[in-house]
Amino acid sequence: MSATGRAPKGNRLLQALPPGDWDLLAPHLVSTPLNLRDSLERLNRRIEEVCFPETGIASVVAEHPNGRSIEIGLVGCEGMTGSAVVLGSDRTPHATYMQVAGEGYRLPVARLRDVVTKSVTLHSLLLKYVQAFMVQTAHTAIANARGTLTERLARWLLMAHDRVPDDDLKLTHEFLSLMMAVRRPGVTEALQTLEDAGLIQCGRSRITVLDRKGIEKVAGAYYGIPEAEYRRLMR
Amino acid sequence: MATVARFSPGNQLLKSLSTADIELLAPHLMTIVLRVPRDLEQPNKKIREVYFPDTGVASVVAINPGGAEVEVGVIGCEGMSGLAVILGNEQSPHSTYVQIAGRGMRISASDLRDAMGQSCSLRSLLFRYVQTFMVQTAHTAIANARATLAQRLARWLLMAHDRVASDKLSLTHEFLSLMMGVRRAGVTEALHELAHLNLIKATRGEITVLNRRGIEKMAGSYYGAPELSIVVWWFRANRILVQFRTEFRKSDSLFHSKSLVDPCHVMAFPDGRGPNTCSRLK
Repeated sequence: MSATGRAPKGNRLLQALPPGDWDLLAPHLVSTPLNLRDSLERLNRRIEEVCFPETGIASVVAEHPNGRSIEIGLVGCEGMTGSAVVLGSDRTPHATYMQVAGEGYRLPVARLRDVVTKSVTLHSLLLKYVQAFMVQTAHTAIANARGTLTERLARWLLMAHDRVPDDDLKLTHEFLSLMMAVRRPGVTEALQTLEDAGLIQCGRSRITVLDRKGIEKVAGAYYGIPEAEYRRLMR
Repeated sequence: MATVARFSPGNQLLKSLSTADIELLAPHLMTIVLRVPRDLEQPNKKIREVYFPDTGVASVVAINPGGAEVEVGVIGCEGMSGLAVILGNEQSPHSTYVQIAGRGMRISASDLRDAMGQSCSLRSLLFRYVQTFMVQTAHTAIANARATLAQRLARWLLMAHDRVASDKLSLTHEFLSLMMGVRRAGVTEALHELAHLNLIKATRGEITVLNRRGIEKMAGSYYGAPELSIVVWWFRANRILVQFRTEFRKSDSLFHSKSLVDPCHVMAFPDGRGPNTCSRLK
């Protein structure tokens, strides 16, 4: 089903489009469920579609030649997949897939390229998002170098919480361990630390945020800069 | 031995521009000396000038309010500062400064914007460079999470070595400690580890690359993927293809790694030029 005639709902990037640009894009946007593990981009393969999530979270994962992967960024209702396409490229050495199921819009890459050449304002908005995403990746690099596992977990939970409508995150320890490139017992211990402090509640494959401010305090300076940069760029 | 043909002299990004695009930029480019620790960009301040190094290395450093700084990428003769400007913005929350002295060209941000506004091919080339830089940052994030300090140090030395004209890198332990976000004692230990294997010689304020292949072995797969993406980008730029292939054959270590495969085989070229050109070269 195409999005023609409807106002964009949950995706903030689409919401930020001037009406003329929305009209250019809307006929080509296809509303779609985004299921857990749905692959949006594959490693070094041609990107066929970009995706604007309304709910749910996609992970951009850098794959290492020796097979170990690590998350370098999250994409949710604030953004889009396919930064490489916005930059005129057609693939990346990264993979992108859904980590928290949701819904969103898909757009064939050819249509995006087409529309971007027709509208400077549209391209410039998407390039701003690319910058915001780059800042996010840079801060992943800082957190990985400097943050304790608990600080990194707190940062991750806040970033995920920013992108879901309620306080429940459907996530397994295994997934978190993969994302943060640490062993599962380490993740379990860090979750336990946050749970003992009354900040989260952990169930089987589910983490409930109880005290966001408390989590922010734990994450400290590791959370916030990319978010502030996003707000600055999108205002 | 370590001395291999790496990047050829001059800024590769400028060299890969079309004649029309270089004519667009040339009147505004000024030759400059890059001294340590010259600021090329300050966090959250308007970027006035953009730099294309010929030699030397600049670091892009992410800073958080807690005072933690970590290098997220390096820029040398393969690239330019001012990614935010390319993306149509005026500033970024990162800091960019010269780490290894060198030379280069400078252009004002507004002249660059004007030129980009006039040339689609210039825009598209610079956007592709941004893409390669994003890959580099992603791999810094991987290395920071997974690699041992010695592996990260090896990766960093290779990246710096790729961008300078000599085997001597003027660097202090203190600087390396800041760049890698670890304590100085840790850096000293990692340097000792590499020196013990005769891969480098570390003296006060200077590190000499003795055995590049050995350092590559130490860095393992943490080095190579972003470099491959730069090569691919060169292929797409298509102008220094011949030069690159010559160097690649000669040295086998420009971007040498076990995982490195001919970019022609991993990348398809939608315009059909790349692979054909390559097979002709073979």
